[in-house]
Amino acid sequence: MNPITPIINGMKITLKHMFMKPVTLQYPTERPKVAIRFRGLHALNVSHDKAKCVACYLCPTVCPAKCITVEAAEDANHDKYATVYEIDMLRCIFCGYCVEACPVDAVKMTEEFELANYNRKDFIYSKERLLVKK
Amino acid sequence: MVNLTIDDKQVTAPKSATIYEAATLNGVKIPILCHDKKLLPFGACRMCLVEVEQMKGRQIPACTTPVTEGMIIRTSTPDIVKARKMVLELLLLNHPLDCPVCDKSGDCDLQNLTYEYQVNSNRFTDAKFNHEIDYNNPLIERDMNRCVLCGKCARICDEIVSFGALTFIDRGIETKIGCEFEEGLNCEFCGSCISVCPVGSLLARPFKHKARFWALTKHKSVCGYCGTGCNLTLGVKDNKVLTTIYDENQGFHKGQLCVRGRFGYQFISSEKRLTTPLVRKNGRLVESTWDEALELVAGRLKGGSNVAALATPRLTNEELALFKKLLVENVGTKNFDHAAGYAHAALTEGFARSFGAAASSASILDIQKSDLLLVIKTDSYETHPVVGFEINMAVKNRGAKLSILSDKRGKLSKLPQAQTLLHRPGSEVAILNAIARVLIVDKLASATAVTIAGYAELVKALSGFTAETVATQVGISAADIKKLASDYAAAEKALIIFPAGQAYSGHNADLATAAANLALLTGKYDKEGCGVLCLSEKNNSQGAVDMGFIPQEGGLNALQILDACADGSVKTLFIAGENPLTSYPSLAKVKAAFEALEFLVVSELFLTETAAKADVVLPVCSFAEKDGTFTSTDRRVQYFKSAIRKSVHIKTDYEIFSNLVTRLGGAVPPTPALLFNEIAAKTPGYQGMSHVSLRKEGAFAPVATKPEFVAPQAAAPFTAETGKLALVTGSALYHNGTLSEHGEGPMHVCPENYVELSRADASLYKIAEGDLVTVASATGSMQLKARVTPRMPAGVVFSPYHFSEAPINTIWSGSPVTAVTVSK
Repeated sequence: MNPITPIINGMKITLKHMFMKPVTLQYPTERPKVAIRFRGLHALNVSHDKAKCVACYLCPTVCPAKCITVEAAEDANHDKYATVYEIDMLRCIFCGYCVEACPVDAVKMTEEFELANYNRKDFIYSKERLLVKK
Repeated sequence: MVNLTIDDKQVTAPKSATIYEAATLNGVKIPILCHDKKLLPFGACRMCLVEVEQMKGRQIPACTTPVTEGMIIRTSTPDIVKARKMVLELLLLNHPLDCPVCDKSGDCDLQNLTYEYQVNSNRFTDAKFNHEIDYNNPLIERDMNRCVLCGKCARICDEIVSFGALTFIDRGIETKIGCEFEEGLNCEFCGSCISVCPVGSLLARPFKHKARFWALTKHKSVCGYCGTGCNLTLGVKDNKVLTTIYDENQGFHKGQLCVRGRFGYQFISSEKRLTTPLVRKNGRLVESTWDEALELVAGRLKGGSNVAALATPRLTNEELALFKKLLVENVGTKNFDHAAGYAHAALTEGFARSFGAAASSASILDIQKSDLLLVIKTDSYETHPVVGFEINMAVKNRGAKLSILSDKRGKLSKLPQAQTLLHRPGSEVAILNAIARVLIVDKLASATAVTIAGYAELVKALSGFTAETVATQVGISAADIKKLASDYAAAEKALIIFPAGQAYSGHNADLATAAANLALLTGKYDKEGCGVLCLSEKNNSQGAVDMGFIPQEGGLNALQILDACADGSVKTLFIAGENPLTSYPSLAKVKAAFEALEFLVVSELFLTETAAKADVVLPVCSFAEKDGTFTSTDRRVQYFKSAIRKSVHIKTDYEIFSNLVTRLGGAVPPTPALLFNEIAAKTPGYQGMSHVSLRKEGAFAPVATKPEFVAPQAAAPFTAETGKLALVTGSALYHNGTLSEHGEGPMHVCPENYVELSRADASLYKIAEGDLVTVASATGSMQLKARVTPRMPAGVVFSPYHFSEAPINTIWSGSPVTAVTVSK
């Protein structure tokens, strides 16, 4: 083969890319477009000013990473609610089984993906942090 | 046995079996909602429909149809599956789909069957029920909206518990399960209804929303309250005992439990448990290390006969044996005892001299084989409720006769055809002697009785106990005594049952001997369904006797030890788990003894009143955190394994004793299992037992009897001066010893001490239910809530002994009957 041909082919690709839109996203100044079915940080849905969660324990049961802790109690109306609902984000594998298992549509996964933090304890998301903000 | 074919499989089954039982026996599973092993067939749910070829392929219920020879049964043809799906659809029509918040979910028969039969949709529509849910009861929550009307709760409450709190009310589609006049549940709270409920209609409130069923680890254990020796399954999550789980295949009682066993488990994982050793410094108990505490104790134990010990019969056999070894071999003292020194006298003195063995000559299983049950004190039900259930079943299902000698009426006297002879308190021995004399005089005794040693002396000693004289003293008629004697003699198999315990000081060696004499005179011992059964109080009372943790030749008994503490001859006292300040007679005496002591060591689960007085407090493990064996009242030795890991800072009594033995220069087997092998080798009846052999189920230690007649001493009849009432102490149904004070369940339903008096006395002294009354005896006075009940005869009041807040020993100094005044 002509020894020049591969060089020309290589230069073609280089030149082509010089006129293309860059792939690199200038994060954080530029934001990615997150798909609607993206599985990011969890959130607890709210209805009538209360978490929808009835503390049925199906999400900790189905969770393959065992990262969800639920503790249930009885409220003044004798309804079951979660006193503790914690997700350990360091263990979570974002499989979405918890959302799938939930019988009352109480837990969802948001588009939030920026979960980095400085302390290990900050990765434990308590119920207050997970509740959907208005 | 009959031969039949189930699903093309040739099988055999007992003649009396139903199709359902035959199938279960041969490993064929038939779905069912309304059946329980213990209950009579009912046929309510129609889930167990099967086809029998001989019945032209009609679908018939398996649970109510008896098997016949050559039956050809099919349990799951497409038609049957269709019918079952239909049944489930109809049930789900009204059943709310609230599985996510229902605690039964995971253990729910309806849920499991719905899943198994894939009932995903419903062809019908109807409104759900809208019954009011009973949240008010502290132990049993009733949500009748979930009910499938299987009737198991109503049936168990009637057939076994014999209370009848729940029943079907209304008719047709309006039918529901409820209480009388649709009021709240006010029963014994044994929770049997919860255990059999196939859905989430009846739930244990203490366990409400604590965990899902599938998250629990199930650990088999033995109940740590009374001497019945019931088997338990503990539900454990995160190293905490959260509930007890029903298993119909467990134990002689088939999973049946009482309120204490089912709801009294909270003491195990209580927050109030002691967590570190405490040592008294400058008059205050401060946290310390094990090394310091044990070194201090070991130093004091070198005192020889200055040292005494009291142990609770809640320790395991291994621990009691090791404690005895420590005291005898390493400390060099003979002063040790358990259960106030007299609660075991019926066994150690009474049965020992009458039967030649310090154990009951009958077992709990004999109740179901006996024709006549002679129960001394209706309290037998309160002290040992599961034994009470056996009596209920024997009387109601088998028609066994029940005769009761008691100073008050009780649950047992309400059983069909139960004959209750109400006598003046404290006169049991005189009545038994009178019966014995009637047996002899009326020639009702068996021919072999004369050959038993001591016959002539007994005849002579009983000469004063004619039915007529005794009758006038005890307040029952001579004819009744004679009738009871002839009934007892005439019954083919008869069993005498009486409770023993710290509150039953009258149930002593003489009572045991007097009862034994009746059995010996009529030859009703050493036979199936016959004998005398002493219901010992605590879970290992019989074990403590078997291990020889009783007063020794030349040693002091429990009450003498307290006297010796007071007079200074005992300087160091080691109390393992007892709480004498609440449970021993005469509070003033116990207090004085503790004051005079130089050094008091207490090993305990909680900082009890006694532990608070100690110089060293050692935190120990409950039965759920250790391995060992308990011996039940009828000498069933049962092995149990720890259900949870113990906290790192506490030790088992075994570890404490073995550490002390080592510090005192002795040697011990490193594990309880090895020590048990030594115990088994030298304890009569335990031969061949080991932890491994007992792992699957407990074994009876046989009792070899050597009968002898001994004339029992009858106490002088109690006569109250005018204006005074006779106080009898005892056990409340909801409690056992002082441990149940730390179980939340018992404390929900019976939180404080009370005095129970008759309606006649109540109106005489103008006392109403719930009034705070002053009860005063010669030794003191105290205030107690009044309970006015129809069961008490006039002139007699009753108070239980379990409560440390208001200990009855303030006014009770150990006599079977105490004269008291009651005033508002």
